[in-house]
Amino acid sequence: MSAILEIFAAIPYDQVLIQTVNGIVTGMILALVASGLTLIFGIMDVVNFAHGELFMLGAYIGVVVLATTGSFWLALLIATLIVALLGAALQIVTLRPLLGRDPLTTILATFGVSLVLQNYALWQFGPVARKIQEPITGSFQLLYLEYPWYRLLIAALSAAIIGALWLFLKFGTWGIWIRAATQDRVMAQAMGIPVPWVHTGVFAIGAGMAAASGVLFGPLVGVTHAMGLDWVLKAFIVVVVGGMGNLGGSIAAAVFISLLEAYASIWVSPAQAVIVSFVVLILTLLIRPTGLFVPTPK
Amino acid sequence: MSAPQPSAEALVSVSNIHTHYGKSHILHGVTLHVGAGEVVGLLGRNGVGKSTTLKTIMGLAQPSQGEVKFAGRAVTGLPAHKLARLGMGYVPEDRRIFRFLTVMENLRTGLDRRGVTAQRKQELLDKVFAYFPVLAERRHQPGGTLSGGEQQMLAIARAMMLEPRIILLDEPTEGLMPRMVSQIAQIIGALHRDGVAILLVEQNVPLTLQASERIYIMEKGMVRHHCAASDINVNDEAIRQYLGV
Ligand SMILES: Nc1ncnc2c1ncn2[C@@H]1O[C@H](COP(=O)(O)OP(=O)(O)OP(=O)(O)O)[C@@H](O)[C@H]1O
Ligand SMILES: [Mg+2]
Repeated sequence: MSAILEIFAAIPYDQVLIQTVNGIVTGMILALVASGLTLIFGIMDVVNFAHGELFMLGAYIGVVVLATTGSFWLALLIATLIVALLGAALQIVTLRPLLGRDPLTTILATFGVSLVLQNYALWQFGPVARKIQEPITGSFQLLYLEYPWYRLLIAALSAAIIGALWLFLKFGTWGIWIRAATQDRVMAQAMGIPVPWVHTGVFAIGAGMAAASGVLFGPLVGVTHAMGLDWVLKAFIVVVVGGMGNLGGSIAAAVFISLLEAYASIWVSPAQAVIVSFVVLILTLLIRPTGLFVPTPK
Repeated sequence: MSAPQPSAEALVSVSNIHTHYGKSHILHGVTLHVGAGEVVGLLGRNGVGKSTTLKTIMGLAQPSQGEVKFAGRAVTGLPAHKLARLGMGYVPEDRRIFRFLTVMENLRTGLDRRGVTAQRKQELLDKVFAYFPVLAERRHQPGGTLSGGEQQMLAIARAMMLEPRIILLDEPTEGLMPRMVSQIAQIIGALHRDGVAILLVEQNVPLTLQASERIYIMEKGMVRHHCAASDINVNDEAIRQYLGV
């Protein structure tokens, strides 16, 4: 009895609160990255290895637009649109011809694209990290911490973008097309749905969402050509844990894993806390390979 | 028997198509036609290539040889979504309902097309709900929760949303109880009265002979027999030869 009390007494509740907020903030941005990835996988069976580079490219376009216009919001909008268009072009040129081929070919194609984009960024912008100035700089008192409002804004904006995506999928004609083509590509086509263009559209949406997260996250980490790597790795873990192609599952998994990592960092260094996500990944693959957050296997 | 010549005014005409799945050669020169508003039966034992014939017409399988014409236009090699928009409806043998879409959303996959006014959409919905009242009751239910018979009705209703000139109907009565079978037969009659052509693949020979104007019988990837449905009965020699067990 007293042992249990001691354990409860030993929990640093102040840090738990702070890490809960941190976990939700990173969880939401991760959910934004992962939902594009999972949407693309769900409809095309394509594992997009270039997703992290679309995230990075979004951040760089954000840097450039911010430098020329001075407006963060304009930077967010323009980066999203440009990368969405680029995504559409990439899909048409590299993935459309591979539809129905061995998944390995699409993995190689997107991996190739990621190398090209990364090296383009290195050549164009150099190795030194660029900074995106956050649009709001205030902070509030979270216990003994000065917690930046901007972090909460990121979480709220990510949630808003994901919510908009959900509404779009749920009610729009394109949403019905996307869901129909995800469930049965051939039958969707036989119903007159232009499936090749739906694929292009989904890839553009996913790319745009990656770019938006890159711009939103830029102020917290600095923009470099390699910034996509960490994120895409985590996003892959989230997509697998959430159930490949399952949007709701990915969002839940993103918040879940980010919270676990945040709590772990109370006791171990942040670098070690990263291990948590791999542990979750391995346990998922061992125990429930269809995904932790999938109610019934598809 | 020699292959029938497609008439000049045929809605769909298939000439000498050969279709392969990988290395296996499935269709060995199928030739048939369906006139505008005509109901045509396509019979044959399991595995002779009836479904493959429908898939090839619908653009879901690509023939290596031969030609498919729709309304006088060569459509061989066109993707299925273009054929659907030209007015070709497809009801596959396994129904292929979008399981996670509601009944209404399943219908909207064919209904939400450019050039269809809100009023026209409502008319089309009213029409299928009059044919299939149960679909109206279940309109907000996911397609995967419907019974087999209800899914078959939804598959037909969904194809009707395209306002098709022809429906390729693959074994619509498979696995259904007798009451459902007669309901499907009634729907075929109603579509026929509306001027929709139907290419009907069936195992149910009496139903096919009763619903169709003409029939084709296939064997081993080829059409072996062709005649008016009224010229043949269930005990006919040709039926026994090509369909008997
Ligand atoms: N996707 C496929 N890949 C390889 N072979 C196939 C495929 N689909 C069908 N086949 C083969 O092609 C042949 C014809 O199939 P098809 O489905 O057209 O026959 P069917 O006449 O419709 O038969 P049933 O009455 O059983 O539906 C069969 O031998 C079948 O095994
Ligand atoms: Mg068949």
